[in-house]
Amino acid sequence: MRMTGKHLFVVGLFFIVSSYLSVAVAVPSPTESLKPLLNEMMTIITDPSLAGEEHKKERRAKIMAVANQGFNWTEMSKRVLGKPWHEINQKQRDNFEQLFTKLLENAYVGKLEGYSSQVITFNDERVKEEKAVVSTTIEDNGVILPVHYIMIQQNTTWKVYDINIEGVSLVQNYREQFRSILRKDNFDGLVKMLEEKNATFDGEGS
Amino acid sequence: MKHHLWYLLFLVLLTCVGCAQQKDIGIVQDLPVEAVEEPGDAMDMMLADDFYDEDDNALCEAHTFNDPLEPINRFFFEFNDKLYYWFLKPVNKAYTAVLPIELRFSFGNFVVNLSAPIRFLNNLLQGKVYDAGIVLSRFLINSTLGVYGFGDPALVDFGLEPKPEDFGQTLAVWGVGEGVYLCLPVIGPSNVRDSFGFAADAYTHPMVYFVDDIWVSAGYYAGSRINLLSLNPDLYEDLKAYALDPYVSMRQVYLDSRRNRVDDLKLKQRCDNDFK
Repeated sequence: MRMTGKHLFVVGLFFIVSSYLSVAVAVPSPTESLKPLLNEMMTIITDPSLAGEEHKKERRAKIMAVANQGFNWTEMSKRVLGKPWHEINQKQRDNFEQLFTKLLENAYVGKLEGYSSQVITFNDERVKEEKAVVSTTIEDNGVILPVHYIMIQQNTTWKVYDINIEGVSLVQNYREQFRSILRKDNFDGLVKMLEEKNATFDGEGS
Repeated sequence: MKHHLWYLLFLVLLTCVGCAQQKDIGIVQDLPVEAVEEPGDAMDMMLADDFYDEDDNALCEAHTFNDPLEPINRFFFEFNDKLYYWFLKPVNKAYTAVLPIELRFSFGNFVVNLSAPIRFLNNLLQGKVYDAGIVLSRFLINSTLGVYGFGDPALVDFGLEPKPEDFGQTLAVWGVGEGVYLCLPVIGPSNVRDSFGFAADAYTHPMVYFVDDIWVSAGYYAGSRINLLSLNPDLYEDLKAYALDPYVSMRQVYLDSRRNRVDDLKLKQRCDNDFK
């Protein structure tokens, strides 16, 4: 069969329309990406069969598996380190990302495990190009805390790269600390400090 | 009495500065937000903030700090750290053991309620007449139904949320910059503007008009601080546990949260609040 101009036009139109449709269907909103992530994490934290110190390793592994799906640690590490990110090689970057992720796991997942009665409300979301902010409030025993998730679009999903609590940005906080350290010390010194910090959490009951 | 006079004089002076500044704010608010492409609220600001940039100079000044006194500040940070571990923590331990959580919670409410005049005045000074009304309503409801402010029925039963404003925030709204960052002994993180605001607020606290004794005021302040600590016992130790440089972390938390509070009125980038 010979392709006429009309055929080509129809086929072309079909491809254009379907590509638009697939984008519209496949990419969930930032809130839709975040909701199942937080729910899954809360389910693991409140799961009685995973509670207690004896299940810590298993519980942490599960939480981090979920977190790895929803957080973009590379984007986070990039921003946390800032300019020096360009001055280090890929191996150093991977090492830094791993250490920083471990620190967040030690600090914040450990803290999160202490809460059990949290109610998360999704209030608002705003998208600007490939970035988005999802605004939530967490209620825990009568205390209401506004938490904003800063997300970046990655293919067909949105991933978190910063958390902002009452104007205090997680990334910004570490960024300033690292900047202050790197003013006096070199990158290897910073890596050593990260390793030492992570070591302080070992064997600690949380 | 002398102090009051100075305070008044300074207020008048600042009002002049404020009037000059107020005009700009009026203009900014009249314009539609889209047209000037200024962030409309905290969420827009977070979207606009991309602090990862190829060119370090292009970074928004929003997150910068002015800390030329860092060596002295670090000294007092260490001092406060010792104060915490050697004094506050053991005192808090005993305090928490003696008083049940309900009582400490109620005392916390009482302290907040008693400082309502500060919030009322500062809401008015910032032109937030509606919020000032809410502060007044909260004070009246909590002082009566809430039994001298020990309960918070205004929030629980009437849904009136607190509107925290202090003189440091008022000064910021009037256009006064932060000044250098300070880590004050005992009091903790602050800056020149907020230290001044803190001192001014002490004069609008009803305490000083009922009891004319600095030691009673100081004791009340210390008591309220211990009580606050007993309600959030992990805050400081968590910060220390998570941070590689707790001094920098605390400075950042203080400056960010203060800027966040000031930003509730101004539709401006935080860069504009800088002293430089």
